[in-house]
Amino acid sequence: MGRIKQKGKAGAAKAYVTRSSAVKKLQCSLADFRRLCILKGIFPREPRSRKRANKGSSAPTSFYYVKDIAYLAHEPVLKKLREHKAFAKKLSRALGRGEWSSAQSLEENKPVYRLDHIIKERYPTFVDAVRDIDDALCMIFLFSSLPSNSRVSPSLIENCSRLASEWQLYVMHTHALRKTFLSIKGVYYQAEVMDQTVTWLVPYQFTQNIPTDVDVRVMLTFLELYQTLLGFVFFKLYTDAGLVYPPPRDVAKDETGAGVGAFRIQESTLPHRPIDVSRTKEVEVNGKRVSTKDVRQTIKSIRAPSVTDGDVEMSTADPALAEEDEEFVPHPSTSNQEEAASLPTLKSLVVLPQADSSKLFAHLTFWLSRETSRPIFEFIVRSFGGRIGWPMSSGSGSPFEETEESITHVIIDRPVTEGVSESEEEKQRRRRRKYVQPQWVVDCINAGKILLEDAYLQGKTLPPHLSPFGDYAGAYDPTAEFTNDIAALEESDLEVEADGEEMDDEVGAERYIPRPEQEALKAAAEADSEAALRAAELKAEAAGVDYGTFEKQAKKVKKKSKPEAQEEDVGEQEMNKMMMSNKQRKLYERMKFGERKKAAERQTLETKRRGLEKRRQRERT
Amino acid sequence: MAATELKKKAQKRKISEEETEVPSAFPLDVGLDMRSEDEADEQEADDDDDGQTDEFPVLDPGSDSEEDDEVGENAEESEATDEDEVESDDEDEEDESEISTDDDELHIFPKPKTIVSDITGQPKRVYPEIEPDYDSDSSTEDTPNRVGNIPMHWYDDLPHVGYDIDGKKVLRPARGDELDKFLETVEDPTSWTTAFDKKAQMNKPLTAEELDLIRRLQENEVPDADYDPYEPTIEWFTGKGKEEVMPLSAAPEPKRRWVPSKWEKQKVMKIVRAIRQGRIVPNKPKTTASQLQFYSVWNEEPSAHPAPLPAPKPRLPTNAESYNPPEEYLPTEEERKQWEETDKEDRERDFLPQKYKALRLVPAYDQFIQERFSRQLDLYLAPRVQRVKLQIDPSSLIPKLPSPSSLKPFPIYKALQVLHNGYRVRSTSVSPDGAWVVTGDESGAVRLWEVMVGKEVKRWKFPTKIGAVEWCPRTDVSFFVVGLEEHLHFLIPPNLSTAILAATQALLSPATLPPQPTTPSLVKWVSQTAAASSVDSPILTLNLPPSSGVTKQITWHRKGDYLSSVSGSESQGAVWIHQLSRRHSQAPFRKVKGSIQLVLFHPTKPHFFVATQRYVRLYNLAEQKLLKTLIPGIRWISSMDVHPSGDHLIVGGYDRKLCWFDLELSEKPYKILRYHTRALRSLHFHPTYPLFASCSDDGSVQIFHARVYNDLMTNPLIVPLKILRGHQVKDGLGVLQVKWCPRQPWLISAGADGEVAVWCSANTELPSRSEASNMM
Repeated sequence: MGRIKQKGKAGAAKAYVTRSSAVKKLQCSLADFRRLCILKGIFPREPRSRKRANKGSSAPTSFYYVKDIAYLAHEPVLKKLREHKAFAKKLSRALGRGEWSSAQSLEENKPVYRLDHIIKERYPTFVDAVRDIDDALCMIFLFSSLPSNSRVSPSLIENCSRLASEWQLYVMHTHALRKTFLSIKGVYYQAEVMDQTVTWLVPYQFTQNIPTDVDVRVMLTFLELYQTLLGFVFFKLYTDAGLVYPPPRDVAKDETGAGVGAFRIQESTLPHRPIDVSRTKEVEVNGKRVSTKDVRQTIKSIRAPSVTDGDVEMSTADPALAEEDEEFVPHPSTSNQEEAASLPTLKSLVVLPQADSSKLFAHLTFWLSRETSRPIFEFIVRSFGGRIGWPMSSGSGSPFEETEESITHVIIDRPVTEGVSESEEEKQRRRRRKYVQPQWVVDCINAGKILLEDAYLQGKTLPPHLSPFGDYAGAYDPTAEFTNDIAALEESDLEVEADGEEMDDEVGAERYIPRPEQEALKAAAEADSEAALRAAELKAEAAGVDYGTFEKQAKKVKKKSKPEAQEEDVGEQEMNKMMMSNKQRKLYERMKFGERKKAAERQTLETKRRGLEKRRQRERT
Repeated sequence: MAATELKKKAQKRKISEEETEVPSAFPLDVGLDMRSEDEADEQEADDDDDGQTDEFPVLDPGSDSEEDDEVGENAEESEATDEDEVESDDEDEEDESEISTDDDELHIFPKPKTIVSDITGQPKRVYPEIEPDYDSDSSTEDTPNRVGNIPMHWYDDLPHVGYDIDGKKVLRPARGDELDKFLETVEDPTSWTTAFDKKAQMNKPLTAEELDLIRRLQENEVPDADYDPYEPTIEWFTGKGKEEVMPLSAAPEPKRRWVPSKWEKQKVMKIVRAIRQGRIVPNKPKTTASQLQFYSVWNEEPSAHPAPLPAPKPRLPTNAESYNPPEEYLPTEEERKQWEETDKEDRERDFLPQKYKALRLVPAYDQFIQERFSRQLDLYLAPRVQRVKLQIDPSSLIPKLPSPSSLKPFPIYKALQVLHNGYRVRSTSVSPDGAWVVTGDESGAVRLWEVMVGKEVKRWKFPTKIGAVEWCPRTDVSFFVVGLEEHLHFLIPPNLSTAILAATQALLSPATLPPQPTTPSLVKWVSQTAAASSVDSPILTLNLPPSSGVTKQITWHRKGDYLSSVSGSESQGAVWIHQLSRRHSQAPFRKVKGSIQLVLFHPTKPHFFVATQRYVRLYNLAEQKLLKTLIPGIRWISSMDVHPSGDHLIVGGYDRKLCWFDLELSEKPYKILRYHTRALRSLHFHPTYPLFASCSDDGSVQIFHARVYNDLMTNPLIVPLKILRGHQVKDGLGVLQVKWCPRQPWLISAGADGEVAVWCSANTELPSRSEASNMM
């Protein structure tokens, strides 16, 4: 006989700990515990059996892994938090006693924790970090648009907007932006960085205030982590791209509302090698790299006088990319030549289709009308290689004036105004340029090509703006039906009318199919064989029915005859369900429920659409 | 000197006399007014006060310090007592000495005096000094019994009560009887202030103090007479002239107050050294420290630990979220209302789709910050569970079974129906040749009709409702048994061939009765003679013991010699096994655990199935022992049937379950099916085709294909074939019994709606489709 097992000594009772006992174990306040959980990324777990994990009690509590809590107990930040508690006591005592100088020296030596080690722990590799910056970017962009108040300090806001600009600058520099979606919540952007898709949401430019039902402490703790994370990620991204981080900021431009334009991308002049691992191995490669660096430097020195602002620098990014190609010419190793040859080179990868759409607007020049949002369109257009200018009212830093000759498109978002007197020159200009609504830009990049401007011209009713991210498989697709919509509509009408024995003029064609043909058709559909169908087709042709009508009719008859055959099958299946085990049956019912729900969703959308189409037709006639 | 001494003595004697006289008043007082104790008390107190206040001014002039005074006083006091005693020794013989001894005896504790201290000016109590003489303590005096403080009941059985100082026995003093005791209490007025002293074995009077103590305890007063709970407070440090103005301590100031600390100096020096060495930088610039310094964190090798699972990403926006969605996404009025009415947590979407004509018209999204916040709450407060997403077609979960069309023949449609005037048809049976059906309803009518056309041939009428009917499985004879309340009637159908009729009559009412068994049975076999018997009346009747209830079930052994009947109410069943050839009935079980619902004979072996409410037990009748107990897990078993091969058993229950048992395997079911929506009523295996049917209170009959393989490795194949609907549900009862025709795949079903239906398969030749009219 084995040892008698005691209750609560093994299993779930040992593996889980409730939140209150975790707080007790860590000897910190609940607020500190929350902060630690946020910083370390520790979240509650759901035990298989809550009763077993909580010593027989089924009270609603949240559980944590005991090991997670043990991991928190060794956290240096926890120590700093305790030190901070002591510091706060000391400071309040000094202030209470009016000992200003000691309070000041205390304040100066206030304990500050750093989060580098946490970043390293949570994201062991750089790719892990890039994969997880979605939420960080959303928060940064949100806070960069918030007004400062007593809880949210101006320096925090400023840091957030700096980080936001740095990210935009990087995306524009590398042309990483892929998709954009104008939603009612804000603008969704999707970029591809280090082969990871990064999606973030930027609210529209309105002043928002933090509502009262939101705990600012939690948001600020997250923000603290996100700022550090983004700092390290941007550092790595910038240095890997051979740029200086942080990019220098032009204070004067920033004052005048230049936004992203206030930052200047600067190539790092030092022979900076972010990945040092290879250096020790291949000296010759290293030597070659240094030589390309020299080449780049000389190129830069030649171009330096022409570099005035970010926009022109965008174009300089091109030769840099071209140089990259040179860099990666494979060196055939002496030992194994075949393998080296078979490796896909960067060039072969670049040929893949995504390359061309990232330079979609390279040959276009845009002018932003003053009612359009500059940050959105400046970012989009520049990311796709276009040039863009804006009036002074949208902020300084526009690279050209409205009179610039090269402007091809004007992004304008106001209705057409009649009877405004224009000078001859303005008329000339108007003729040369395309005046499009903002949605055109976004739809172009989502489509990956320059769309026709006609549907998007100023004052026109816009076609619907669809999500570029797609939906689950088999969801209702509004674009798919644009093509065969009318046919489907007619078909459904036909069905309705066949039941009611009423024929409309539009669908009157079917009436002309003579009776015997219909009989033959039915027979063919029921026989379900090619030969019979062919025979019926011949018969119909002889009777003078055109092929299109015939096919439609055949389809219809087939559809009608199908359910009968299916009915039996369904009945059989229903009976076979008796032989399922309970577990399987429940799983089956769940899956079926999901399917039905999706189908119902789709169905409602389709019927709505049909109703709309019908109404539109009625209005037209 | 002597003179002075004498004079002193005289003076003292005077005092002592006065002193001793004061207590001398007590016994008198006590004796007199025992009933007014308060007064006595007062008097006593008064007396005390008087004595003291009178005396002390005389005694204490000239004494300055308290202690001295006390000492002197005590000394004098003791002297006084000394004198007193001496005096009592030498001169006094009568009154005074007696009083003094009395006094001594009365004062168990020394009596305190209350004097006014001349320092504080407050009264205080002073106890007389104890003189450590041998006989100074009255408590150690002269009791002759020297046994000490032991429980005196040890001497209860002995003539003596202890030993004196010389070791002689102290004899128990003579005690009067109860009458004496009573007289004593009557005569002696003080007797009730006495207490029995066990050591002395006699009554002793209580002292005044003791009486006072008792009285005080009775009245919940403070037991100490001298204690005053309300004495005035003494103000020591308050009031005029009593404040303390000078410090309490006059100790000189310690050195540490003015010598510089060595340890402080060491600490300061440590800091100074650190500053000199540059370890501490005073007034370092703040700006560089506060700025976060970024560097390449990911340069060194990542740790071997796996990265924590990344948080799930939020769902990407769909078309509905667009600022300019296709119009069909816009909610209708009802959808909008429904969305607004549902709680925030229950909404499928957290926004309502909206359409704007131009981008400039899109307002700020008011829930933006809340949504960000709730995402963060999800990140750090929501438990995360990893779930495997099943990417399978749900229809692949349905077991693949052969198509029913390939398993024909089986009954498909209702060929004909026989009506029973709306009476519930509880039971039905098909003759072994498959041509005749007999049905019994609750009105007591038994009908015999023909399967092919449904023509009724004969009807019998019984006074009570019919519980069961069953044909004898033998083919050389032809008769059936009808089970009623307490009777089993054996009936012969009409129109039999003479040979069969003769054989049947010979079997049921033989000319020579078999010898009576040694143990007479409770069941009486009554038969009519063959000549007197007619088709209309039963040829043989078994009278079950009275009050045995309705016969619920009759089942035949396959050879047709034995039949078993189950009768009784639902709670208790009585099983009888009747043997035709010996005309004898016996109860196989003396006592069975649980109420018996059903019984069955094994088709090939001498085994016997007994279904109680929960379990099915299998007995070997030849060896008279229990073989196994099957546990179907059904709450209440309603029906049971055994496969013709005898290796499989199906059991149905009122809780809608059907259990298939492989008798060679475990006592748990091989398969449990639950497909009827109401209680399952009856089950039947087809004797020749691989079919079985079940019927239920939901009014449906379910046909299954049940193929049993001979090799032990293959599991039986059960395929649901057809659901036959057509019976009405009446009073919550649907189809009550199903029976197969032995040679065709036809099914007879008897319903609670008074309808018996014959269900036929498609490709067998049909019985005439005409509906048999009710021939009333």
